[in-house]
Amino acid sequence: MKSYHDIVGDGGSNILEQVTDQKDRIAKALSKVKHRVAVGSGKGGVGKSTVTRALAAALAARGFKVAIVDADFNGPTQARMTGLRGAVPVPGIDGLALPKSRDGVGVFSVGAFLPESEALDFASVSTGESHTWRATKEFAALGEVLASVAWGKLDILLFDLPPGAERTLQFAEYLGTETSFVLVTIPSEVSRGVVARSVAALANTDNSLLGYVENMSGYFCADCGEIKPLFPETKDGIVLDLTCLGRVPFDPALAFACDRGVAFLDLPETAATRALSAIAGRLVESLEIDR
Amino acid sequence: MKFLCVPCDQPMKVLNVTPPDRGSISVTYSCPACGYEMAMLTNPFETQLVSSMGIKVGPAASAESDKPKCPFSGMVAEAEPTAVPAEDGVRWTDEAVARMQVIPEFVRPMAKTGIERFAKEGGHAEITLAVLDEAKSRFGM
Repeated sequence: MKSYHDIVGDGGSNILEQVTDQKDRIAKALSKVKHRVAVGSGKGGVGKSTVTRALAAALAARGFKVAIVDADFNGPTQARMTGLRGAVPVPGIDGLALPKSRDGVGVFSVGAFLPESEALDFASVSTGESHTWRATKEFAALGEVLASVAWGKLDILLFDLPPGAERTLQFAEYLGTETSFVLVTIPSEVSRGVVARSVAALANTDNSLLGYVENMSGYFCADCGEIKPLFPETKDGIVLDLTCLGRVPFDPALAFACDRGVAFLDLPETAATRALSAIAGRLVESLEIDR
Repeated sequence: MKFLCVPCDQPMKVLNVTPPDRGSISVTYSCPACGYEMAMLTNPFETQLVSSMGIKVGPAASAESDKPKCPFSGMVAEAEPTAVPAEDGVRWTDEAVARMQVIPEFVRPMAKTGIERFAKEGGHAEITLAVLDEAKSRFGM
């Protein structure tokens, strides 16, 4: 009796053809994107989105063409951070038009058109079972976004990832080896421990891990003008075995800007913005980007 | 998934597909050798799992007679803009409706609502390609 592999084709279901077609559409849509960088962590609340948004602005300020995909469909923040809440998705000739922040960063974020009082919902014929299909659906939706948006020519496309070490791995596998990773942590053992798990998970892939950013690395005291520690320093703590791209002190002005969608070019220079600009420079070096 | 006619040792072919009914799709297969027919009836859970991959689910492809009939193709359109007036009286031209297809399906209902609001606020009774271009400019695209 014939086995599955003895039968040519997929039995008329057309599923494999559709999956291949999706991948081809994504590849075509991203064909003019020079570099893809996913900003993840594994840990939640460490500032992945803030770092992503700030790096995008710093790269744009250096003259690079940059866009952000807010890949956290369930907790999208980039629309708020970039002042693009309420930007209606509009179709153009070449695909879904991409709104730009005032500092010139293209942004796709579900938060632009989904009010913060609502959760993203997908039509389903199977109620009460979303734990079995929801993650798959979200990746399919991400694929639709990547294939549909008119990205144009970009130097860097940044992905703002959701938390979860396993999710970081899933995104690495979904986005493919062309996507490099930057991980974000804060100087706590709890955070470093989770990020170390993400490093271990990514070690099983061929994706390039460019390094990590230590966010909330002390705070900038405006009164005395010094950086003071936010977390206790430990001598025997977890050491992340990858390049540190930089340390960013907590800056209330930066937090305010993110909450209110203030363009980064309107911010005064602070220790935090200088650190982020330097990290953007190291990112450019590690990616060997030509303008 | 493939189906094999055991007596003939032949892969069975899709004969027809019925539209989704409460999440279930009925796919009839036949053996090209002996003509034996059987039906696969998916439960909503199975239908959802496959459609979650971004696979089009439904009978639409069966209209393309020159291609193999596909049980998992075609999508039940929901909240699609149509050329008939919406409740608020805003009308879509066929060209504008066609252009909406470039938007990811899960985004389309929100796009439709937002564009209709934009058109209404701008005093447009009909959404044309020019109105869509105007909206692009308005939202900094």
